[in-house]
Amino acid sequence: MSSLTPDQIKTLEQSRQRLVQLTHSLASLITSLNQSDPLPSWTSLQSQATIISNNLLTISDHLSDNRDLLATLVAYPSPSYPSRNPANTVALEQLLRTKLDPRVEDWVARGRKAAGAAGNGNGLDDLGALAELWDWAPVEANQEARRRNWGGNFTLEEREQGVGNVVTGLRRVLEDDDDDSESEEGESGEEEGEGEPDEMEIVGVRRKSGVGQGLEFDIAPVSATAASGPGHAGQQKVVAPVVPLDEILRFMTVGIMPSQR
Amino acid sequence: MHELLLFASVPAHQHHELLQQLAGLTAMQPRHRLERRLVFKAYRKPGLVTTRVGASQDVQGADLQRLNKMLNGGMYYTQVVGPVTKADFGATSLSAMSASHDADVSMSGTDQSSYCYENQPWKLEFRDIPEAGTRSAVTTRLMASASLPKGDIAVPMNAWGYSFVTEYMVEGDVFVQNDIVIFLHRVLLYPQAESQDLHGPRRQLPAYHELTPLERTGSYVLQAAITVQDGSNQEMMKTASQHLFGLREQLKSAVRLEQADRLSLDTRAK
Amino acid sequence: MSDSFTLPLRPLLEKRERPDTLPQEIAQINAQYGSFRDVTEESLRATIAEEKNKDPWAEEDEAEKPAAEVDTTERMDQLYKRRAEITQFAMQAHMEALFALDFVSLLLSKHTPRQAELSMSAYLKQVAPLGSLNAEIVNPPPKSEAALQDIKTVSRGWRIQNFNAAANKLLRSATRLETEVASETKYWDEVLAVKNKGWKVCRLPRDRQALGVQYGFLEATPIFRDRGLAALRRADDGSLLLDKGLIPQKIRTVRVRVKTQGQFTGCSKVSWSLTNADSIEGRILQARDTVYEEELFHEMVREARIMGSQGVTTRQNLVQVPVSEEQEVLLDLVDVDQGEPADTESLSNEHDTLADAVAHSIRILLAYAHRQNLRRRTQPPPPLTPKRRHVPEYQLLRPVMAYLQHTAHVRSLESFMGDIVGVLKAAGLRCGFTSAPFSSVRLPTVHASVPKVETLVKQFLMPFESTFTGNLLTPESSFCVKVRTNTVSPPSGTYFEITVNLPHHPEVKPPSRIGLPTEAAAALAHFMLLDIVTTIANKGVKSPEGTDAGKGVLSWEAAYAHHGELRALSGSGNNKKMKVSLSREELTVQTYPLRGVDVSGSAEKGKTANPRSQSWRADSSESRPSLMEFVEEVSQDRP
Repeated sequence: MSSLTPDQIKTLEQSRQRLVQLTHSLASLITSLNQSDPLPSWTSLQSQATIISNNLLTISDHLSDNRDLLATLVAYPSPSYPSRNPANTVALEQLLRTKLDPRVEDWVARGRKAAGAAGNGNGLDDLGALAELWDWAPVEANQEARRRNWGGNFTLEEREQGVGNVVTGLRRVLEDDDDDSESEEGESGEEEGEGEPDEMEIVGVRRKSGVGQGLEFDIAPVSATAASGPGHAGQQKVVAPVVPLDEILRFMTVGIMPSQR
Repeated sequence: MHELLLFASVPAHQHHELLQQLAGLTAMQPRHRLERRLVFKAYRKPGLVTTRVGASQDVQGADLQRLNKMLNGGMYYTQVVGPVTKADFGATSLSAMSASHDADVSMSGTDQSSYCYENQPWKLEFRDIPEAGTRSAVTTRLMASASLPKGDIAVPMNAWGYSFVTEYMVEGDVFVQNDIVIFLHRVLLYPQAESQDLHGPRRQLPAYHELTPLERTGSYVLQAAITVQDGSNQEMMKTASQHLFGLREQLKSAVRLEQADRLSLDTRAK
Repeated sequence: MSDSFTLPLRPLLEKRERPDTLPQEIAQINAQYGSFRDVTEESLRATIAEEKNKDPWAEEDEAEKPAAEVDTTERMDQLYKRRAEITQFAMQAHMEALFALDFVSLLLSKHTPRQAELSMSAYLKQVAPLGSLNAEIVNPPPKSEAALQDIKTVSRGWRIQNFNAAANKLLRSATRLETEVASETKYWDEVLAVKNKGWKVCRLPRDRQALGVQYGFLEATPIFRDRGLAALRRADDGSLLLDKGLIPQKIRTVRVRVKTQGQFTGCSKVSWSLTNADSIEGRILQARDTVYEEELFHEMVREARIMGSQGVTTRQNLVQVPVSEEQEVLLDLVDVDQGEPADTESLSNEHDTLADAVAHSIRILLAYAHRQNLRRRTQPPPPLTPKRRHVPEYQLLRPVMAYLQHTAHVRSLESFMGDIVGVLKAAGLRCGFTSAPFSSVRLPTVHASVPKVETLVKQFLMPFESTFTGNLLTPESSFCVKVRTNTVSPPSGTYFEITVNLPHHPEVKPPSRIGLPTEAAAALAHFMLLDIVTTIANKGVKSPEGTDAGKGVLSWEAAYAHHGELRALSGSGNNKKMKVSLSREELTVQTYPLRGVDVSGSAEKGKTANPRSQSWRADSSESRPSLMEFVEEVSQDRP
């Protein structure tokens, strides 16, 4: 029997803080449930559930990390506890109760039953294999995702085979347009051509360094059109007008050349 | 008549796309337009002129009255506009130009265009300086137009007290959306513009490809205009500007239509 | 999807050992199914199949399964029940967490009272002073092997269940995604097919998320123009739905019927079988046709209202256009699938072709009006004025009516002329005419600026003109009739313009405009009569000196030419009078003796001689003397 060390008190204090967080998130869930009819938006509901779940995880981790301490720590009322009042006693009993709540009891029983249904004995081999599978899966899924092109107008396969062959049906060309404007469109382009009007966004995905999960997207403008004839590629350059509008209008009105002013 | 306008500058690279957008918006094919525009400037005080124009047989009586009113109202710059077609331009090719050192000879030699200056129809387009201090965000100005005699216009214009300042070509496409005329255009300059300026309107047109854009990046001007018969009718003027604002809103994602700088459209001759 | 591989997402279940003893199972079965007698193999199999698909969490999910079947109020009830459950769980959890917090806080309040107090509930503070709980580290006895094993079992059970649940969810999501991808692919394929057929596919102006197809007519009146756009929605299975919003799905069309003398004698084709009308293309076509037909009818009613003065009447869903005295054209809007309506007791199908022609014409004319609208719309507009621009009524019925009326008038005049000529022929007179129906309609000369079809249609919007020309019996006499019909601009209707060239009657001037065909016919007959009279008179002039029979032959001179009366004076007193009358049925010539120049005294003496009469009809087959022979005969200078 020994009294608590500062370290142990610190552990308990951490438990307290985590419980504070948990009660807060639960309270906010209850509030938002009460304030909306019929339910809060599913996104907010889901994010609250995630927060609560994370809180629970933190507590759970904390408890198992400090299992040695918490398993051997025994609480008991000090002599100063006003136990003469029956109400106080009831409150105390509630705090110090170690028996599981009936519903938790039920939950445990269901787990026991499920394990029984799955077959007894035979250790945890199958679980080990499963756990391995589930560890492997997210990584593999990410790798698969990385090979895909999310958000672009063409799939990677289509791009490899040349996007010119893809029938999109989306070409917007003016009907009956004369040849002049047609050729002005003059698509020329190589991959990563800079800032041409017909460009499109192709999003690359790669795994964030370090962390196993999570992807990062980067958006690189890539010319959508495959290379064609030389055309008027020069006209396609983005060039801002050098003569301001009012100078043009002045010339049109009184014939003063822009440079003469 | 009054004219309400909004303008926007359109970079060359956006031109084709905007043409398509306008075609979609107005549900019509663009109408290509080529215009000779001559700038004239009044050189004497109004009220002195009573000259009758010589070749006025193809000018209607009402037009003539209006003309006199317009031209004698004050000292203004005014424009004479004549429609032309691409076929009117000279056939001079660049190679022919470089083969001969004397550009003029080569031009007159190989010029096979059907252009006939004597038959060029003209219209006088009078525009006042835009109204100052209007609260609405559109350019508003008094306007009038009238037919002029065909052919050599410098003589009658001189008789009216106007001298030739310069000329240029306007090329562009017209769209119509309800009451609004949308004109996506740019100014093209004749080769050796300066030497011609002093004399008068040219009698022949060079090859089309020899024209160079005033704005050398090739940008265009988008002009949205709506005319109102009676400028004193506030209701109509309001309706007209609302129509323009409606168009501005529809084109918002493509171009920014704005009021023009008032002084850039100042037609007063000082 | 191509390189499919299988992953054992679910834990492999071992064959369950049989811990249950038989009596227990029997008891269980009794409890579950009742008596053994009611248990059949079938019901057991069904139960097994059911169980197989069951999720271990099924207890909770089960209630959701019939969700599709319950109606909305029940769903609401369910929703609120679930909501209450969630709230209850959350409150319970909150309470439990608060107990734990209170406990830890109270425990800590001995050491760090200030912090700990912050997280103690008010109630706890009331019942337990700070620091009233002690804690000590003890060495508890180790847990029993059985207890540890139990914990492991519970943990294993839950992990298996959770793996299972996660696997199920993943697989379900994968299936859902797969069907979703399939139906999206199907949807876009169909959209693309529509697009490839040349339809304009665009975003809906009011519902930017949805795609629409434009099948209507841009130049139609706004209410119909705006109806020319329907959303291309996706059915659950990905097939394309044409969503026209509130507009009924009925297929309607304009029907043209011809009524002759009060009975129906023709009807235009109402239903035409579309090839695969159930395809999306077919439905778009139907929608397009219907909106066109409805616009057509709308515009026809609008036009009919200004044609009241021309006898056109409109009823709720019917336009009646008179074509001739005995014929009218009826136009109405009918449902295509309605089949043959009962109210049309068709007498014959004689005028089906006419009805079809009218039906085609009005559609062509609407298309023409659309083109005109485009032309007008794209011209620089006039300056804005407070006056609203009136949209003129389209020319749909007027050109058709004009054409039909004109045809009727021309035909009637032609047949009249034919009859007259027949009669004259029977009388041995040579006379002919040529008709040039619709001589005003000329095939368009090519103008680059206006498309050929437009110039062609335009011809039919102008007044129609037909001409009849012919030579009369006397040399250098001729006539010309111009028939004009104009229903577009006033003066409307048909009028006849007759010019004649009668050298012997230079004073004769026909009225410049004749409105009624009967009057025109009468005028023509009159000129013919004049001409015949002149011919007879001329004959008389020639014969006295030119023939051997000069002697004893009377010569005729016109007395009252406009009444067809001639007179022959004889030296021997055998004065005679001749009366010629002409109608489309017959030509009749009568002669009466006329004694003495003095008409007053001739009456009673004239009775002594027989009046002679001869008539010619076009259809009579018996041979008769010709008019000239008859005239010659009656010209003998004898009673």
